[in-house]
Amino acid sequence: MIQVFRLCKDYGPFRHALSEVSFRVEPGEFVFLTGPSGAGKSTLLKLLFREELPTSGQILVNGRNIAVLPESQVPYFRRTLGVVFQDFKLIGRKTIFENLAFVQSVLGLSRAEQKRRAYQALKRVGLHHRMNSHPGELSGGEQQRAAIALAIVNEPVLLLADEPTGNLDPVLSEEIMKLFLEINIRGTTVFVATHDVELIRRMGKRVLTIEKGKLRDRDLAREESLAREAPFLPGS
Amino acid sequence: MNSRYLFGEAWAIARSGPRHTAMAVLLIALAFYVPGLFALVSRNLARLASTAGDPTAAILTLDPAADAHAIAARVAGDARVARVTIVGSRAAFERFRKAYPDLGAALADLDEAPFPPTIEVTLKPSAPPRAARELARTARSWPGVDSAESEEEFARKFRDGVRILRGAGLFLGSLLAIAAVLSVASAVRLALDLHRDEIDIMRRMGATEAAIRAPFWLHASFEGLAGGALALALLYATYRGAVHLLAREPHPVLSIFWVGFLDLPTALALPAVGAAAGLVGSFLSLSKRPKA
Repeated sequence: MIQVFRLCKDYGPFRHALSEVSFRVEPGEFVFLTGPSGAGKSTLLKLLFREELPTSGQILVNGRNIAVLPESQVPYFRRTLGVVFQDFKLIGRKTIFENLAFVQSVLGLSRAEQKRRAYQALKRVGLHHRMNSHPGELSGGEQQRAAIALAIVNEPVLLLADEPTGNLDPVLSEEIMKLFLEINIRGTTVFVATHDVELIRRMGKRVLTIEKGKLRDRDLAREESLAREAPFLPGS
Repeated sequence: MNSRYLFGEAWAIARSGPRHTAMAVLLIALAFYVPGLFALVSRNLARLASTAGDPTAAILTLDPAADAHAIAARVAGDARVARVTIVGSRAAFERFRKAYPDLGAALADLDEAPFPPTIEVTLKPSAPPRAARELARTARSWPGVDSAESEEEFARKFRDGVRILRGAGLFLGSLLAIAAVLSVASAVRLALDLHRDEIDIMRRMGATEAAIRAPFWLHASFEGLAGGALALALLYATYRGAVHLLAREPHPVLSIFWVGFLDLPTALALPAVGAAAGLVGSFLSLSKRPKA
């Protein structure tokens, strides 16, 4: 699903946000991207979303080299993705149902299809009973679920999330992660950037760690399994 | 992208910033009102020129007490003159009434015609070019003649005047149209800022730039169309107001400028140009490129 090869991103001659990053994510995987603040997590996600262009290297998403994608094709590429950000942006003057229907009207879907997909997405995140509410009437957790519904309404093959639980308490964060798991179980590849180490540990999924723009690939589940097998080894 | 989405979002943009929309419409209306006024006045002046009958070489304006026939006979004695026509006060008033029907009806109640008698001089084809000017200069010194103008000179001055007026109107109109375009561009930029979150969401969801910008283009065009239509309405109100005032207190010179309103194509050009100005303004203000 995602293949990144020797990816570099520089902001000026002295600021190397990403340096020779290479990794691969298979279809249907659930992967965390973690690292300290300023490590390059958001930069990587922006590159995957084609919000920015790499300085060098290649990025293949669902078989398409997005680094060389023409500008006119970027919107069509983004329709295959779902994106969730920490700020869970929703259009305040529309109900959450109208939010979901609105973005589909821009994509040219029929009114009946808009309504069907919007309702289905809200039902998947457990917000179908609040579909006539405005974002301002929802709690933080509900707003983030609405944002997730917005991200999955077009049934994307890949879901990118940048600090989706950054503004939420641990209980709500757990709820959101369960939602991501359910989405992943249904076949969507999920790629979540977060610095919540405890959350990552509880999920037990594959982890890519970025530090100072360089990547380290960790399989936490395997690490924990090894630790249990040899608990008395020096350094464990 | 369907028309329902397009018009719905354009309307939503207008509603989300009603004050900004109203100000943009008003600015455009004012910007097109002034050149519209120039167009109205110059059109009436040009109409005056075109209603003139046979080419008259010179016009002598007489003192009401003067012996018009004696003066006419003296003019007719000039070998260069083909025809001399005495236009009495009453006849001049009838001409005015036919030329300016809106105003003429209001003057019908006057006891005496407000126009002085005149003598119109037509020269022979063989008359030299400066004959009209010489004749007028000579006639000015005759007793009973208040003023004498060669029509050639008057026509030249008149045409120059209309040309200058049109040129001034065009120049001023162009400046004001640019101002209108920039006003719309600012208003669109403001609307963009108000809808920044929506635009971000649309981009994330894979909306094309055309789908994002089209409602703003349409909204700006509507602003321009409304501004142009308002300018037209203001012009018509000005025209009707002037006609009403001049009907109560006629003025032989000012009345010339308010003979008739703009013709239909010119009138419809105001909202059309307004819409075009709105569209250009929105193109100028809408641009985004990805960071690289």
